[in-house]
Amino acid sequence: MANRTLPRLLQAPAVLMLLMWMLVPLGMTLFFSFIRYVLNSLRRPEWTTPSIENWRGLGNYKYVLEAKDFWFAIQNSVFIVVSILIFTVVFGLLIAVLVNRSFPGRGIVRVLLISPFFVMPAVNAVLWINMILDPVLGLNGLAVAGINDLVVGLREFPLIGQFFSMWPELKPISFRATQTSAYAVIMMVTWQWTPFAVLIFMTSLQSEDESQKEAAMLDGASAWSQFINLTVPHLARPIAIVVMIQSIFHLSLYAEIEIVSRGNGNKNLPYLIGEFTSNNIGAASATGIFAVILANIIAIFLLRMVGKSLMD
Amino acid sequence: MAAVAQTTPLSRILWPALAWTIALIFFFPIFWLVFTSFKTDADAVKPEHLFFFTPTLENYANMTENYDYWRFAINSVITATFATALALVVGVPAAYAMAFDPSRHTKDILVWMLSTKMLPAAAVLYPMTFLTKNMLGLFDTHFLVIVVLCLINLPIVIWMLFTYFKEIPKDIIEAGKMDGVSTWGEIKDILIPLAWGGIASTALLTFIFCWNEAYWTVRLTTIDAATLSKLIEGNRAPEGLFFGRLSAVSTAAVGPIVVLGWFCQKQLVQGLTFGAVK
Repeated sequence: MANRTLPRLLQAPAVLMLLMWMLVPLGMTLFFSFIRYVLNSLRRPEWTTPSIENWRGLGNYKYVLEAKDFWFAIQNSVFIVVSILIFTVVFGLLIAVLVNRSFPGRGIVRVLLISPFFVMPAVNAVLWINMILDPVLGLNGLAVAGINDLVVGLREFPLIGQFFSMWPELKPISFRATQTSAYAVIMMVTWQWTPFAVLIFMTSLQSEDESQKEAAMLDGASAWSQFINLTVPHLARPIAIVVMIQSIFHLSLYAEIEIVSRGNGNKNLPYLIGEFTSNNIGAASATGIFAVILANIIAIFLLRMVGKSLMD
Repeated sequence: MAAVAQTTPLSRILWPALAWTIALIFFFPIFWLVFTSFKTDADAVKPEHLFFFTPTLENYANMTENYDYWRFAINSVITATFATALALVVGVPAAYAMAFDPSRHTKDILVWMLSTKMLPAAAVLYPMTFLTKNMLGLFDTHFLVIVVLCLINLPIVIWMLFTYFKEIPKDIIEAGKMDGVSTWGEIKDILIPLAWGGIASTALLTFIFCWNEAYWTVRLTTIDAATLSKLIEGNRAPEGLFFGRLSAVSTAAVGPIVVLGWFCQKQLVQGLTFGAVK
């Protein structure tokens, strides 16, 4: 028994710190989700202090479930996450296979490719929404203006001028609008996380069985059928891990959404919680509990997978 | 596939060219950020100066005046450094015990630690504000930011250290025990020298994550402990008249970290997939 004391003692600080980090705030959220609790109320000042006397039962949950914003936020969270997942996995696979052969300057290509992943999210968002996607001053606006000028210039020429005079004037898309701000977020996060997928897939490709591929080649299998029948099944596990890790990260996207449009037309669950937090703590807490449940559904699968590989 | 590619001269040029093109496209936004940082604010929005302009360093020279850059940068350095150090101080003994003296609960503890990482931050936003502002008086202090950054990275730190420590032969540690070396001596004189590379890359990766963190550092600070994430988020304004200076301060905020990141690509895979992809 004595020799178990020391290892326990060594682990104790880490375990206790994480236990408190997990239990205390989450316990408070759970409590607040069952009471009436607002930050400002002239009519009902007693609701501004958290107290068991303001018990509301499942009222906050009911309120949240009936809020239009809540369903929109869930839908939008899922839309953003699924879009990013599809783009990053598809691009990641293609790029990883492409870079997984030797060619001149491969090291530099790897360095260039991985760089976006280390850019802090706030800079990523400011850079994309202003300097690249802005419809007037960004490259988006400049490119569209350039094309329009070109078309106008071409109208002066005989013969082809006739053809170009039928061209409409192009209008740049504004990515801060209600309908488009989600696309801007998807674009910038895809840019940042495709390198992550590439890196993981490349690591995994290096452990692929080359002799199997050679055998397939001798049997006359095409490059495409090798990719589909050998490479993709080999990557099934890394793909699953990339999908789950990204789901957890992207379900809590915040900075990008805030910077692009202050959530205008593009709220996700964390953003909605942030908005509720400005006054209605009860509703914010109930929404928070829903977010925890959503994240846990994904986390359970991920942890199973990680746990399996743990001891080998 | 590789062998096929080498037989035809066309694909020997085509595939590398394609790889280079894609890499350059991905790097372009970063290039553009750095490029714009050398333009004056006026030149940065003029189409005729899109590619040709007189480069200037004034945006960098005025960074302190325009944005109070160093105050935020120093806060970022302090919080990321101390959070990384704290995470290692707590994490090394824990990972040591788990790797060399595992019990039947070790696996469960490790998986549970990871699960704390998956708690959505927004769900506990108000309790954290309430606790630190109304009860502990720690809101907007370096101490708070350091502790929170340490906590959110601790699971990854322990996990990475655990996978590195596991590769060290148990006999070496056992031999130390036989010779009557104390636990502290074992960690200091045997473990740390042997696992130095692993500990260093864990530290590097943790530092990067702390530096880039953008939820708690923004929400739990106002001025005193505000980091670079907060500075950039505060200057998101779409006016566009300040592209030059905004690019310069952004370049200064991400430049060092991107370069650090180049050196720990391999560890990144292990750190982010918790050893599940090899």
